[in-house]
Amino acid sequence: MRLVLDHVCAHRPPWSLAADGVFSPGIHLVSGDVGSGKSTLALMMAGLFPPESGAVRREEITSTMLSFQFPEFHVTGLSVAEECASWNLSPETAIAHAGIDVSPETPVLALSRGELKHLHLSCVLSRDYDLLLLDEPFSSLDCPGKEQVCRQISGRSGGITAIFTHEQSTFPAIDRLWEISDGRLVDCGEMPKALLQWQHAPSLVRRLVGAGRIPESITPEGLREAACRTRG
Amino acid sequence: MIVISGLRYRCLAIDALEIAPGITSVIGPNGSGKSTFLKICSGIAEPESGTLLVDNVSPRQTEVGYVNEFPDRNILFPIVKDELASPLRFRFTPCKETDHAVRDCAGSLGIGHLLDRRMQDLSGGEKVLVAFAAAVITRPRVIVLDECDSHLDAGRCRWLEEALRMSGAVYVIRCTQQMETAALGDHLLYLEKGRVLHAGTPAGVFSRLSDTSFYPISWRWPA
Repeated sequence: MRLVLDHVCAHRPPWSLAADGVFSPGIHLVSGDVGSGKSTLALMMAGLFPPESGAVRREEITSTMLSFQFPEFHVTGLSVAEECASWNLSPETAIAHAGIDVSPETPVLALSRGELKHLHLSCVLSRDYDLLLLDEPFSSLDCPGKEQVCRQISGRSGGITAIFTHEQSTFPAIDRLWEISDGRLVDCGEMPKALLQWQHAPSLVRRLVGAGRIPESITPEGLREAACRTRG
Repeated sequence: MIVISGLRYRCLAIDALEIAPGITSVIGPNGSGKSTFLKICSGIAEPESGTLLVDNVSPRQTEVGYVNEFPDRNILFPIVKDELASPLRFRFTPCKETDHAVRDCAGSLGIGHLLDRRMQDLSGGEKVLVAFAAAVITRPRVIVLDECDSHLDAGRCRWLEEALRMSGAVYVIRCTQQMETAALGDHLLYLEKGRVLHAGTPAGVFSRLSDTSFYPISWRWPA
C-alpha cells in the first residue's frame, strides 16, 4: 500500500505547488506556512482536487478519509445525536470518546468550536482507513484534547496517516517528516534524522537539535527525554 | 480598567474581576466559556445580569474589533479588499480615504497581495489574517480575538503578536490554545466551567497549572 505523488503540480498565480514523493504506511507530518498549500495537497491526495499536471496514484488503498480543517464542513445532522448517527455511532459512545460534556439533544452547531472538533475527530478516529488525511487536526483543541488525539493517532494499527499542520507543541509519534517550502513539497526523511532538515521545526525542537540533543521522537515523551538527557 | 461585577450569562459566572490595559490571554478547556466571555467583552452579547464595563462604559459604547473563532463567519463580502473596507464603508468614510486606509492597512500587515483575491479561495490562515486586518483597520480601543492563532503558523503567530503590540489598542483580549502564546501576554485568565479559576500574570497562573497539560511545553524542559 502506498500513495505516490508523481510530479504533481497545482497552480493559481501567484501561488503554486509542486509535489513529488511516496507516502508509505506510517504516520507522516506535513508542515508549511499559511497559504503554502497544505490543504490543497490534502485535497489532491484524497482525490478531491485534480492536479494540473502529474498524477496522484493510490496503490492498494481501498478506503480514504479526509478530515477538513473546519469541522463544521463535515456536519450533516442537526443535533449531536443525529451527527453521531450519520457516522453509525451511538451518541453516548462518541461523546464519551470525545471527552466533552454535552447532551445528545444539543444542536451540533451550538457546540463550541473545540467541542465540535473533539466530536468530529472522535467520529473520524472510530474507524480504520487505508489512507487517513488530517488537515489541522489540532486546531481549536485544548491541551488535554491534543494529547488525547495524539495518543489515538499514534495507536493506529496500520495504513497511511498524513497530518497537515502548523501545530508547534503537541505531536503524535511521527515516522516521516515533510514540509512545503517555496512552493515545493520537501521530503525531510525519516525520524529522527529528518529533524536536522526541518525548517518549520518548533522552537523547542530547534533548540534541542542546536544543542546536539536530537529527540528520537517529537512526542511530549520524546522531547522530555531529549531535554533531560545527560551527556557523558 | 475593565471591571466585571456579578456577571451571569449562560454558563458564565464571574463575581468580580478587573482586567488592566495590555494583552490578556484567556485559556481553559474546550467548553469552559472562553468564547462566551469574549462575546461579552466585545459587546456581541450582553450579560443576563451584572456588568462588564470598559473604562466605565459598556463594550457597545466603545470601539471594538472582533475576530470570530470560525473564520468563515467573519466574512461579509466576496472580495478581500471589500471585506477589509467594510468597517469604514459602514461608517460612511469617504471613498478615497477608505481606499487609502485599505492599502495602508493591508501593506502594513503584509497581506497586500491578497486584496484582489476571492475570500472563498483563501486558506484558513489567510482568512484569519484578513479578518484581523478588518478588525483593526478602524484602530479600535479594544481588540477581541477568538483563537485566531489556531489557524496560523509559528511565523504568523509571532507576526500577530507584534501587530497587536503595534495596534494602539488599549485592551487586547484573546483566547488561545497555544500556551507559548498565552505566556507572552501581560495578563492571563484560566477558565473552567464558566468560572475564572486563576487570574494574574502568566508566570503566576501557570505556576498553578504546572502539573497540567496547560503548562507551556518550553517551560517544562528548558533546552
